[in-house]
Amino acid sequence: MKNKDYSYLYSNWEDTVRRRKVFLSNPVFVKGLALAPLVVAATTVHNGILLCIAVFFLLTPTRIVTNLITRRMSMPLKTFFYPFISAIVFSFVYYYMYKLLGATVLVLGVYLPIMVVDPLIVKNFEKTRKESLLYSIINGLRNTAGFIVACIIISAVREFLGYGTLLGVKLIGFAPLPMAHNTFGGFLIIALLSALWAQLIKNYKYKVEVEAMHDERYNRDAD
Amino acid sequence: MTNLRRRNHDKYMMIALLPLIFCGTVLYGPRVLLLNAVALVTARIVDVMVSMVRKQDFDGHDNSSILSAIIFCLMLPVSVPVYVVAVTVVITILVGKHLFGGKDVYPFNLAALAMCCAAVNWPDAVFSAVKPFTKVDFFSGRTAFATASNASLLKDGAVPAYDTFQLLLGNYPASMGADFVILITVLGLYLMFKKRITWHVPVTFLATCGVIAFVFPRIYGFSHFDSFLLEMLNGQVFFIALFMLSEPTTTPHTPKAKIIFGILCGVMGMLFRYYGSFEIGTCFALLIVNTMDGYIERMVSRKDRVKVEKDESVPQPETAEPPQPQEAAASTRRAGTMKLISEAEDNLDDVIYSTRTIDINEILKLEEQQKQQRKAGKKNEK
Repeated sequence: MKNKDYSYLYSNWEDTVRRRKVFLSNPVFVKGLALAPLVVAATTVHNGILLCIAVFFLLTPTRIVTNLITRRMSMPLKTFFYPFISAIVFSFVYYYMYKLLGATVLVLGVYLPIMVVDPLIVKNFEKTRKESLLYSIINGLRNTAGFIVACIIISAVREFLGYGTLLGVKLIGFAPLPMAHNTFGGFLIIALLSALWAQLIKNYKYKVEVEAMHDERYNRDAD
Repeated sequence: MTNLRRRNHDKYMMIALLPLIFCGTVLYGPRVLLLNAVALVTARIVDVMVSMVRKQDFDGHDNSSILSAIIFCLMLPVSVPVYVVAVTVVITILVGKHLFGGKDVYPFNLAALAMCCAAVNWPDAVFSAVKPFTKVDFFSGRTAFATASNASLLKDGAVPAYDTFQLLLGNYPASMGADFVILITVLGLYLMFKKRITWHVPVTFLATCGVIAFVFPRIYGFSHFDSFLLEMLNGQVFFIALFMLSEPTTTPHTPKAKIIFGILCGVMGMLFRYYGSFEIGTCFALLIVNTMDGYIERMVSRKDRVKVEKDESVPQPETAEPPQPQEAAASTRRAGTMKLISEAEDNLDDVIYSTRTIDINEILKLEEQQKQQRKAGKKNEK
């Protein structure tokens, strides 16, 4: 069963990459989206979780509403409507988050509202292909999952290196690399993590290729 | 030849750094040797590890990372913890050197990058200074005689109260080896006499810094000349001019470009010192100017090239080639290949410090591309 899977993945590799948004086409590590809030605001896991909540409430609803409204629109109008709708959705999300979490939402400053025009949320307007409602829901949820994984990893690494803590719990007595909580350090750490991620993807692709070849040969011998 | 030249440059730079390490050891004790050894060994280990990970042969003659690590180490105070030196050297050589391609191709000056990295991470440890001939713990670096460095005092608007002669000698609370102005000047003259560095960058850099310090003093209530003396003798300006701005990989190679590079470094460095948030503004300025050095060189060489092209009568390309027999086509193809090789050789002559070699596969690929283009052209005509 597993071998069959690998040969299927190998023959439909582009589709697989498009579908697996958590690992193979992660919105942050592979596509480089939503860097501004991650570099500046995601210095602790706490802030990272706030960003994740905002993206969770913002990404999929924006995608669904825009899909419904801009279905028969031409390209320039669609481009205009996408950020407009994300801004309207954000105003609901913001008040809901404020009610849910209180003043802690204000910790992120301008980097929460800036998500409205972030390519992560409004990237879809550049697509000429029309997507179905179900596809927009599924794709939105996949993108959200990819962002949440990346955001938690980045914020955890930065909190540990910058303060020596994790979720506020002291792990070691000193900060191993205090620049991790600066913007400069944020860029550096995201770059290094992206490089590591790319290497993991390369290894996985190699493994899929080898397994698929093996499977093909096995089938040929059996015939 | 180019490799040999670079190797000799590193060797002479190391020789020039030895008196500074000796002076530092006399003034601040044997901990100077410990810190330098840590920097040196860490740099070497990182180089070896990276060559193992990349599955390449380790080049034992490549001393650029060791040299940068020692230059960085000499700019620190003697009280700095050992792990600060080790971690900074590891980050700098991994990120600054090997992630950008390694030997001879890294874009940023490694010592400046290390200094910026340490300054951002541990500003308290980096910007303190220790009185000479006082006791410093060998392993932990704890001392009761640490004060703020002169550059920090100038940054805060205060004036360091030391005699000019003492400032020239370096006999005041300062870094390990970057503040002995007279000794550094002598070493610079030695390097220039041995033709390892040229006068262009250090002289233009120091002159620009001096003019800016003289014309626009930042200390209130002091004369222009006092401002000039204080700015030039504090803040490791001479050390940076001679040991950082003379690195062949990250500085331009033609004299005109070197002069422009020196002036830019001086202006940006003084701006960063006056308005930046850290004392070692020159290192940050150098990183910014490093991004432009290739452009400066191209800009200068482009003007020369335009002159040459105007003089020569450039032959016009033929509009349509008549159909040729097989032998003639083969001979023209061969001539084209030879032309490609000669062009590549000409380009290699322009680049002094380069490890590129002529790859026959690349030329064959180019040839194939040309063939395909010709075929496509013929098809279109039909």
